[in-house]
Amino acid sequence: MADRLTVARPYARAAFARAQADDKLGTWSVALARAAATVGDERVRALFGSPKVTAAQLAGLVAGVAGVAGGELDDSGRNFIRLLAENKRLQFLPEIAQIFEVLKADSERVVDVAITSAAPMGAGEQAQLAGALEKRFNRKVRVQTAVDPSLIGGAVLRAGDLTIDGSVRARLARLAQDLTA
Amino acid sequence: MSIKASEISDLIGQRIQNFAAGTEARNVGNVMSVADGVVRIHGLADARYGEMLEFPGNLFGLALNLEQDSVGAVVLGEYKSIREGDVVKTTGRILEVPVGPELLGRVVDALGNPIDGKGPINAQATAPIERVAPGVIYRKSVSQPVQTGYKAVDAMVPIGRGQRELIIGDRQTGKTAMAIDAIINQKSSGVKCVYVAIGQKASTIANVVRKLEEHDAMKHTIVVVASAATPAALQYISPYSGVTMGEYFMDNGEDALIVYDDLSKQAVAYRQISLLLKRPPGREAFPGDVFYLHSRLLERSARVNEEYVEMVTKGRVKGKTGSLTGLPIIETQAGDVTAFVPTNVISITDGQIFLESNLFNAGIRPAMNAGISVSRVGGAAQTDIIKRLGGGIRLALAQYRELAAFSQFASDLDEATRKQLERGQRTTEVMKQKQYAPMSVAQMALSIYAVNNGYMDKVPLAKVVAYEDALQGFALSSHKADLDAVNAEPVLKKHEATLKRIVEAFDVTGSY
Repeated sequence: MADRLTVARPYARAAFARAQADDKLGTWSVALARAAATVGDERVRALFGSPKVTAAQLAGLVAGVAGVAGGELDDSGRNFIRLLAENKRLQFLPEIAQIFEVLKADSERVVDVAITSAAPMGAGEQAQLAGALEKRFNRKVRVQTAVDPSLIGGAVLRAGDLTIDGSVRARLARLAQDLTA
Repeated sequence: MSIKASEISDLIGQRIQNFAAGTEARNVGNVMSVADGVVRIHGLADARYGEMLEFPGNLFGLALNLEQDSVGAVVLGEYKSIREGDVVKTTGRILEVPVGPELLGRVVDALGNPIDGKGPINAQATAPIERVAPGVIYRKSVSQPVQTGYKAVDAMVPIGRGQRELIIGDRQTGKTAMAIDAIINQKSSGVKCVYVAIGQKASTIANVVRKLEEHDAMKHTIVVVASAATPAALQYISPYSGVTMGEYFMDNGEDALIVYDDLSKQAVAYRQISLLLKRPPGREAFPGDVFYLHSRLLERSARVNEEYVEMVTKGRVKGKTGSLTGLPIIETQAGDVTAFVPTNVISITDGQIFLESNLFNAGIRPAMNAGISVSRVGGAAQTDIIKRLGGGIRLALAQYRELAAFSQFASDLDEATRKQLERGQRTTEVMKQKQYAPMSVAQMALSIYAVNNGYMDKVPLAKVVAYEDALQGFALSSHKADLDAVNAEPVLKKHEATLKRIVEAFDVTGSY
């Protein structure tokens, strides 16, 4: 996974720089996500490495799917896909899209936070949490919620590598560790 | 003593009451792969080099490689329970081990946990295992001796408190024996000892501990064990754990001695970790920082001045110097000291004791090669009496070596040459010493005085050892007071006449 990210990073950076310069972050984002989904498809994956399919054909296929409504690719976008095909890096598109999203969120000063709570949260609670997080990260917060009853109570927040664990399950685990140590 | 169930539940209740369970914000990552004790972790962007990482199941690791998208860590303990996808948390701490006098007499593992079945260690303090060595302004030059109890070592390659003296030799040449004897001889000197066993057979370590107990040397000794069966990560950190425990005594104005047995195996363990972490291999497949691995460890052996001790103890201990003497051991392969690790450690230490298998097999034990064994700073710390008498030994052996090869061709030698040869042979005999029989300064002085001044010239070569034994026995039984006087004030000028008197009185009895 890490190696794949390392390979994907320079491509994602280049794509991001181009998109930012052209002020087309949204379009690129949609196109990359769609291209990533295309590459992820099993029928498409079977074509990689096939001697019958040329790089240009593959690039045409991916660009064709990615470039439909909402993600219309300009020349540089098509060139990007072609470059990936020539370098045999098309299968790294999911990682490229992932890094692109991180860069995009960073430039828009937005942070994605996944909140897992023991019980479904009300809109008020969610807004309160989001407000507190916005203060802490000094960024706008995009919240995704999930429910996991095994937490017993409280909630776990995850933003990137940072985890804020306020669940009852974690506290019980720490209490157990403290008592047995 | 029986504990009531109600007491236990009260105790637990208290612990629960005092348990502060706030939310915790920590950096986390996920395990990508586990192999051979090395874990690659995705995420963990804020992990720092050398930081402890927490795995599920109260297991800890050490972050050793910080890469762009992953962290490479070694697991300190059994890694079989770790699975792909497990959550890893940072702890914000670096590895610490317990330190203090409570550890004396105990056998602990590389993390300071007791493994001798004598119950928990109630150490009052802990200290991080990696620490920068004391700086130049806090250092003091070596001026007091560490008596190993070996005539050959104390006379020819004296070791001072705070010195690093390498013991190097092939397998089965008596390296460990020499170090153990040095520990046993600290019984009454007040020097605290740490013995770090790295990558050795558990049976060998058990033997060493038993021998130390037999000679009543465990009460001033800590044994740190990372046997051959423990993971490489623990073998790699065990010398650092040991030196941290030794440093405690140095910091508190006491003298300590640490034996690393042996550093070649530690380097091999570190090589394993490095290769698994995909660090580029260099000479003999060791990573690029093997020199630093040992230099930063041995640099922590030092003699520190009064100001340092006062500063570290915050004024609790005043006017005392501290020292940590290092005795690293290196095992060579077929006497090859030009291999990578031996040359490194030779250049780091303040001298070396070469033990050779051909000498060992010829019955010269300790099998020290007097020609190439040196001590670069120990001379300043030698007692006056041994320093003056020991000069004669070095000279006699040097001349003997020169003539020994030459004399094999000449059938009849002139008187002077023959005498020198015989003196050399006798000196070599006198330098022999049994294991677990350390000698006091006075006893050494007596033996060396006798051979230097020709009292043994008339003794047949085969009987020299017996002569020396009898002389020592005689001195101990009828001149105990004289010996004690020499030990109390080891100055040659004062006691030369005493030594002469004892030897001549013994010669009259002729009982050898």
